[in-house]
Amino acid sequence: MDLRPQRISLWLVPLFGAIMAMAFVAFPGFPPPTPPSMSAVQVADFYAQHTAAIRFSMVTFNLCAIMLIPFFMTIVVQMKRMSLPSHVLAYSYLGAAATGATLFAIADIFWLIAAYRPGRDPQLILLLNDMAWLVFTAPVGAVVVMNLALGLAVYLDRRPVPVFPRWVAGFNVLTAAAMTPAVCAVIVTDGPLAWNGAVSFWLRLGAFVLYLVVMFAVVRSAISAQAREP
Amino acid sequence: MTTTSATSAPSATRHLPATKDLWVFVLGDFVIFGSYFVIFMVSRRQERDLFIESQRHLSLNIGVVNTLVLLASSWFVARAVQLTRDGEFDRARKLTVGGGLCGLVFIVIKAYEWSAKIAQGHTFPSNNFFMYYYMLTGVHLFHVAIGLVFLGVSYVELRNRRRIAPVETGATYWHMVDLLWVVIFALLYVMR
Amino acid sequence: MTVAQAGTASAWTQKPNIDQWIAWWTIPVFYNIFGLIFVVLTRVMPPPRPDITQTQIVQFFVDHSLTIRIGFALLMFFIGFASVANGLIAQQMKRMSISPVFAYAYIGALVVGGLPGCLIPAFAFVAAALRPDRDPQIMVMLYDWCLLSFVGSLGCFCTQNMVLALAIFLDRNDVLPKWLAYMSIWMIVTELLASPVFVFRSGPLAWNGSISFYLGTVVFVVWEFCMIRLLYTAIKKQSPSEQIQD
Repeated sequence: MDLRPQRISLWLVPLFGAIMAMAFVAFPGFPPPTPPSMSAVQVADFYAQHTAAIRFSMVTFNLCAIMLIPFFMTIVVQMKRMSLPSHVLAYSYLGAAATGATLFAIADIFWLIAAYRPGRDPQLILLLNDMAWLVFTAPVGAVVVMNLALGLAVYLDRRPVPVFPRWVAGFNVLTAAAMTPAVCAVIVTDGPLAWNGAVSFWLRLGAFVLYLVVMFAVVRSAISAQAREP
Repeated sequence: MTTTSATSAPSATRHLPATKDLWVFVLGDFVIFGSYFVIFMVSRRQERDLFIESQRHLSLNIGVVNTLVLLASSWFVARAVQLTRDGEFDRARKLTVGGGLCGLVFIVIKAYEWSAKIAQGHTFPSNNFFMYYYMLTGVHLFHVAIGLVFLGVSYVELRNRRRIAPVETGATYWHMVDLLWVVIFALLYVMR
Repeated sequence: MTVAQAGTASAWTQKPNIDQWIAWWTIPVFYNIFGLIFVVLTRVMPPPRPDITQTQIVQFFVDHSLTIRIGFALLMFFIGFASVANGLIAQQMKRMSISPVFAYAYIGALVVGGLPGCLIPAFAFVAAALRPDRDPQIMVMLYDWCLLSFVGSLGCFCTQNMVLALAIFLDRNDVLPKWLAYMSIWMIVTELLASPVFVFRSGPLAWNGSISFYLGTVVFVVWEFCMIRLLYTAIKKQSPSEQIQD
């Protein structure tokens, strides 16, 4: 079994992760995140002032974010190696990963439409900005379910040496828990649960990034172990 | 996939270097880039004064340096192919690294050139000339990056399995990238 | 796999690789209908210009309201078949001598492509066509939304083509020829050259531009033609008793 696709998919994460980290810093609406409380005129101003940076960072995200999918599919393949009654959790993970990626791609386009035509009615820019932020922040269910599926699979894995170490199950559940409160971004417009808040923005993103870093290491070991198998 | 003997006796049959699959790519890339060049030329005819005026903001020196760097890298890579055919895999490997390093230098110089232009206020949407400038050099840069991947594969082949075809493939591709740059250099920097 | 008793199942179900053949047939049918929808009915291909006036944009929707709605109604049904094409290609990728990661990634990437890249733009146009008497500024936004999302969904197709190219290059079973991998690299290049559509409202790099749209579409049509042909050959050569990895 040629494991190179898995290794390549693995290393796509630091490569495109680094590029996206650059875009994250370059996007004027990320550090610090623009609050929902900004008025239509303020939002329109924001887009007019930072048009180039917004376009650059969002096009970068558009190009790079989907490059993480092969990594998630590597996890799917590893899940299929686990000794489980069936592959249902692996395929659930696959579907959820595709859903999560789709949501991010949709949010990305909204930011770009908002930055496209100068002179657009500020109320429309406000609407597009709202849609971008809400779609980016709130539908954490896809990633949460991914993590729960993986957590359960790791917990149930009956191999004498499990594909992923047991603590990965707990880690996945913790990540899911950290990201879940972000759903409240559709309810409130200020405070820690708003889309710019400490919980919905920083905790959610921080947990996801930490997840990528940790799972990178975990998957790397798993692939090496798989390579050593007869 | 034909293999050549390790001796330097001339082979009885001449074979096309690299694979025919790569040649599909090379020829197709020429057609695609050719279309870009035609579109550029049509645009240039319509706004000749703007293009000539904007062109003066490009540093001919940097363009020449970049061209020389790529030509040098092509020379390294071509020598590497010759040495591989002669069975001198270690020397070929070192030359491949040399070619790759030149490619990296090209990228670094390009990045520096871009940031200098942006600092001077000549950005992607500034005017049509600079739109083409960033677009053509950008697409070319992507091809250089792919070329580095090809050279990386050549390097690994030379270190491990010593088949000649991947080395020839990488070299052919790299020469194509070099040739495209020469045309881009002529169109953007030199042509009056 | 149970063997049917002679006479208890229709003959056609016993043909080798019948499931893949049926899947294969949906592809040329799908793309012909796709052409009818996007070129003839909804006028998205080639796209109308970004740099027309607000009044002209509204007039566009008034003029083409009926065909836009009919065209996209067809899309609402036929979009489902994109999954079949993706599934077929993924199945062929699983015949390759490598880990099936890229086959799954192919499906995943094109799931993304189907939504912001195809279906959601349709809804933007439909909303405009359904009520052309909306505030003209809203009509312009819907116009932008459809065309930017349709031409500017980039990353999903970059990933799709990258995993396909890598899979073909690494494959020792020669399921698909190496030159298709090289063509897939062109597809990535055309996606990269579509990224300026978010910046320019006219010229070759706008959403209707000679480079961002037309060249990209030509490359795509050639690629798709080749893919359809190559899948036909691949299925034909595939032995029904071939063992494929899980």
